[in-house]
Amino acid sequence: MRRLFYLVREAWANMRTNRMTTIVAILTTAFTLTCVGIFLLIYVNLQHAAGWLQEDVKIMVYLEDRLSRDGRLQLELMLKSDRMVGSVLYISKEQALTEFRTQFPADSHLLEGLGENPLPASFVVTLAQSFRSPEAIKEWVEQVQTMGGVAKVDYNQQWISLLAELIGYIELAALGVGILLSAAAVTIIGNTIRLALFARREEIEILRSIGATGTFIRVPYFLEGAALGACGSALSLGILKVGFELFRQQVQFISRFSEMEGLISFFPLSACLALVLAGTALGFTGSVVSLLRVGEGRV
Amino acid sequence: MDAMIQLIHVSKWYDRRPALSDVMLEIEKGEFVLLMGPSGSGKSTILRMLIGEEQPDEGQLFVQGKNVTKLKRSEIPYLRRKVGSVFQDFRLLPKKSVFDNVALPLIVQGVSEKDIRRKVTEALRAVGVEHKRDQSPSSLSTGEQQRACIARAIVNGPVVLLADEPTGNLDPELTGEIIELFKLINARGTTVVVATHNHHVMHQVNCRVISLMQGVVLPERAMPERVGV
Repeated sequence: MRRLFYLVREAWANMRTNRMTTIVAILTTAFTLTCVGIFLLIYVNLQHAAGWLQEDVKIMVYLEDRLSRDGRLQLELMLKSDRMVGSVLYISKEQALTEFRTQFPADSHLLEGLGENPLPASFVVTLAQSFRSPEAIKEWVEQVQTMGGVAKVDYNQQWISLLAELIGYIELAALGVGILLSAAAVTIIGNTIRLALFARREEIEILRSIGATGTFIRVPYFLEGAALGACGSALSLGILKVGFELFRQQVQFISRFSEMEGLISFFPLSACLALVLAGTALGFTGSVVSLLRVGEGRV
Repeated sequence: MDAMIQLIHVSKWYDRRPALSDVMLEIEKGEFVLLMGPSGSGKSTILRMLIGEEQPDEGQLFVQGKNVTKLKRSEIPYLRRKVGSVFQDFRLLPKKSVFDNVALPLIVQGVSEKDIRRKVTEALRAVGVEHKRDQSPSSLSTGEQQRACIARAIVNGPVVLLADEPTGNLDPELTGEIIELFKLINARGTTVVVATHNHHVMHQVNCRVISLMQGVVLPERAMPERVGV
């Protein structure tokens, strides 16, 4: 018990003795992890948005004007009996016009001069939960497009594909930046530990002379590295949270994006804990690398 | 008698300059031995080899029957726990109290809190600095610092006590006190080896003297009586 207490106390003493380097190490680690965190936050939110869009995918099946009422009913029946279809909503030409006027009141005069209602009747189709993959949607759309009475089939898959592509790029960037900045964090913490080792080299000599094992000598430095990493990552989460809240406030102010507010979210608690653990692991790795480099790892 | 320390044809070179040349030495269990010689004669090299800090280029060393030259790196700390070391510069940790300094070898070994308290108190009492237990080493006189260093060396009951120029920083009066302390420790059964260039020490202790000159052991002086208290 006293041995454990001694090791923890030594780690704490190390940090207090080299207070300035400890603070600098925590701040720089926090800064590098914040950079990684920004990418992760964007990535997580885009993933969330992509999932939401995928869930909300609506397929517009526009009907030919010459399609009879019986033909339309027959087509509706066919769609409803399709196992891939979750729901079908019919929108008549008149309903489409009303909706257009409601949604775009300033532009409704454009249709006045045309005389006849140019908007087509349509079915709004939502596919069943298990058939919402991009491939399944594409296959279904191609099949419906060949049906008689169908003028055009439209859906927001382009947006989904674009978003998926963007997520892919951000994933790559996050990975690249993550690896680079993690290496930087390891180096920073490693150098802090090296300074601590240098400052306490006489003490290490004394410990060796009285029969301390290599592990006993190294453990306080491992603990110090892990503590620096944990503090750095916790601070980076704090910075990210403040930044995120400021961003959310801005979104609230701009009425055009006010709907976005409900879509963006911060890391869940489990992810926060995972990030602190990752920071701890980086700090630990920094001290291991440092101790091996100065030969203490082979005491 | 059993041999506690044995050096068999030990040689060591530093940059092609011989530090020890074919040294043959045997120190019995419970003996008090003075390693005498001027600076650079090889005294400290022998002591460093006995705690595995250095390896001979030739020959073999045994401590309590264990071949030190064959020890793995990971086994060396366990050898050092059986061999107490006292240094000329005391090597006490300035930011720790006297008690904590003396407790260090026991903490390293994972001794229980209760035993640490008991053993450290006993060691401090044996060297006469029990009243200074809560003070920092810097507030102690040089003689007291050396006593604290000796307490740390004996706190875990080593079989051998090695002292490298332990009186180098002390005046003649304090030198006498420290030598008396070594005699007491030796009387309790611990083998004591003191390396010194101070000839006054030789007159204060009636023991075996091994003289070294330029890495060579000179024929021993006849001082047959062992110290006994």
